[in-house]
Amino acid sequence: MAKKKKQMNLKLYGTAAILIVAAVLAAITFFTYTSRYTAFSPEKMAVAYVDTIAQTGDGYNAYKNTLLSKDMKFGDYIRENYINPVVYENYKPGDSTKGLKGLNDEALKGEKTLNDDGTLKGKMIDEMYPFFEELITANSGFDNCDLIFTSYIEKLVEVRQEIFGDKYFDDEAFFTAFEANVLTYGESLTGTEDEYDSNTGVQTKFASTGAYQEKFGDDYKIEVVSNGFKEGSADADKAVVNINVLVNGKVEIENLPVTLVKIGRSWYVDSAACDTSALYGFYK
Amino acid sequence: MDETKKKYMKRSEIFTFGIGLFGVALLTGWMPDYTQTFFADFAFKGKGFDSAVISTHISTVFLAAGIIGAVMELVIGFLIDNTRTKLGKAKPWIGFGSIPMAIVAMLVFVAPNTRNQTLAIVWMYVVYSLYTAIGCAVERPAECFGALCSPEPSERSSAISISSFMKSVGQSGGMVVVLVVGIVMKAVMGQQQYKNAEAQGLDLIISTAVCALGFIIFVMIFFMNNKERVPYTREKVSLKDAVKVVFTNKNLLMVSLTKLTGFGRGVYGTVSLYIAIYLLGSKDLKLALLLPMGIGTAVGTLLVNFVLKKFNTKQTYILFCVYGATSLAILYFVATGIGFRSELIIPFLILNFFCGLQHGNTNVTPNIMIADCVDEIEYKTGKRQEGLAYAGFGLFAKVASALTKALGPWLLYTWSGYLPSTNANVAYAAQSDATLNKFLMIYTIIPAVFVILQGVPILFYDMVGEKKDKIVKTLMIRRDAAADVDTEEPANDAD
Repeated sequence: MAKKKKQMNLKLYGTAAILIVAAVLAAITFFTYTSRYTAFSPEKMAVAYVDTIAQTGDGYNAYKNTLLSKDMKFGDYIRENYINPVVYENYKPGDSTKGLKGLNDEALKGEKTLNDDGTLKGKMIDEMYPFFEELITANSGFDNCDLIFTSYIEKLVEVRQEIFGDKYFDDEAFFTAFEANVLTYGESLTGTEDEYDSNTGVQTKFASTGAYQEKFGDDYKIEVVSNGFKEGSADADKAVVNINVLVNGKVEIENLPVTLVKIGRSWYVDSAACDTSALYGFYK
Repeated sequence: MDETKKKYMKRSEIFTFGIGLFGVALLTGWMPDYTQTFFADFAFKGKGFDSAVISTHISTVFLAAGIIGAVMELVIGFLIDNTRTKLGKAKPWIGFGSIPMAIVAMLVFVAPNTRNQTLAIVWMYVVYSLYTAIGCAVERPAECFGALCSPEPSERSSAISISSFMKSVGQSGGMVVVLVVGIVMKAVMGQQQYKNAEAQGLDLIISTAVCALGFIIFVMIFFMNNKERVPYTREKVSLKDAVKVVFTNKNLLMVSLTKLTGFGRGVYGTVSLYIAIYLLGSKDLKLALLLPMGIGTAVGTLLVNFVLKKFNTKQTYILFCVYGATSLAILYFVATGIGFRSELIIPFLILNFFCGLQHGNTNVTPNIMIADCVDEIEYKTGKRQEGLAYAGFGLFAKVASALTKALGPWLLYTWSGYLPSTNANVAYAAQSDATLNKFLMIYTIIPAVFVILQGVPILFYDMVGEKKDKIVKTLMIRRDAAADVDTEEPANDAD
């Protein structure tokens, strides 16, 4: 009689394989998530906040790490508090915009708005830049965001009307112009290199020398590191972290205090309690 | 009783074979594009690396992975053909290879926390090459399982057809996963915190884990339920014989050559963004443009199964080629005749759906033909070589894909006379009518020419009709005879 050979238990193997792989995937994901996600650590959050400003003078995007962005997207915060009151008459933050008619009414679009291929939009961005730069310089950064956004939008409505010849205004006009100006401001610090479209070979950007390069050399390197807790700890609900900014390995700013608040498991920068003006002047 | 019509597979096996290929495609469809995005934008964010150097190396990483993949196709094919276990020859590779594949895929998205640029670049090369090699060791056997699931050709064809449909759906599954992961993360974390996490690439990491988990679950369902039912032959296959098979069996070579002669079929993908911008009026319509074609492809994959019940594989292939070229030509003439107007977008998209149907043929029929070629090779040589047969086809497909990637941009940016924008504020410059017409040709007429060309080698394919029936019957008799002689030690667990 033929001896029956032992068969592999496929169901047992399959179930074990699923469970083992699921456990390994969960462990890797948990490890990666907790080590990469900045909001779980007050020190990482403080470094991310200061680093965004120190690298490119971008106090605008740094707000995405703050209490202002706790419950909503930072863009929605700006819409609700600064853009909508201009677009809609009698609008108050928190009101719904459903059914409201304002400056973003399609009927207000003139010929130039309807036929613009991007040229007039570019002109608007370029004309707003000197105003933007002056605003940031005069206020030593973005700490007074209320003043920055209010003044900028007021000026933008005026410049847009002049260029397009109509009263139309919407959030897209603000974000297009403001974010382009933030980028240009950053490039004025970091400098730019010649850039070419990889498909067509057309030059899309020209080389320029930035303020950082003039002060610290072409190959400058900015590093932002935590110098420990000034107050509180990672286990408390509130903390102040000291941040050092090093340029080419040398400390340029020492113990810049960043105040943070813990809500749930996440840490947020309390921008109202922070003074970032030093980050806009260390290269001068 | 007609032995060739006997059913070998359980009903559930046809479905679970499809589930298995869906799982494999879920991960393999996800990995290349999102790995590129992860390496370029998130892996070393904030580390101060030279972005130009990293970008150059990312292109080379994928080039190296492509070469490794092509070599691995043949190596794995050869190893499959020399595998003899109780589980069969392809199934062990799928079942045992899927565990390391899922884990390595996940590790691709765990970048080392280093400020050493050289180390970071080396890591990209090593981890992605490793993934490509292991991926090949699972994907290729899963493909060639179709030729092993049943000795009965029509039953095998149905299984391949349904699994090809599931595979084509699985390939886009990652896009759904990343969308759902995003929605869940937004709900749990809040809008801005999700944005911050997204900026750190965390949604990609979670999506990879979900795709890898889906992969292992679906592959294990297949592994537990499906059996290889074609007994392997006992002769060892030498490396020389193995490579010879790919290039000297006429029918197999003809099927593989369809990939080369039809390599320009896919250039429409390169121009689709420009069709959306210049002819439909918005770049956002690119998805709207490709979606009907994608749905058409999925429907076409199922449709082939019905056509195959009326016609043989050769007739079906040629029929779909003629249909595909005709539908693309109609799309071209309709589009140039009535001009592009936004109010005509719906009929335009419907035509896109009908153009997509032909792709179902190229997804399914060659796989069935290769299975038939494996029978022919066994009939002639006494050796079954599924591994090498599918690997050879995969190798030709990889070469064709590289040619498509070279031809598409050349047609678009050089041949068409495309005028790039030189104004930083104008994204897309106005184009001449001649250029717009050439865009349309790249989208329709040029692929139509290649669709015809891909059908040419099939004119010389003859593993159909009486010849096929005779071979299948002879193989059945041989296997029965071998089983009678070899009752004490069955070749594998085939029923």
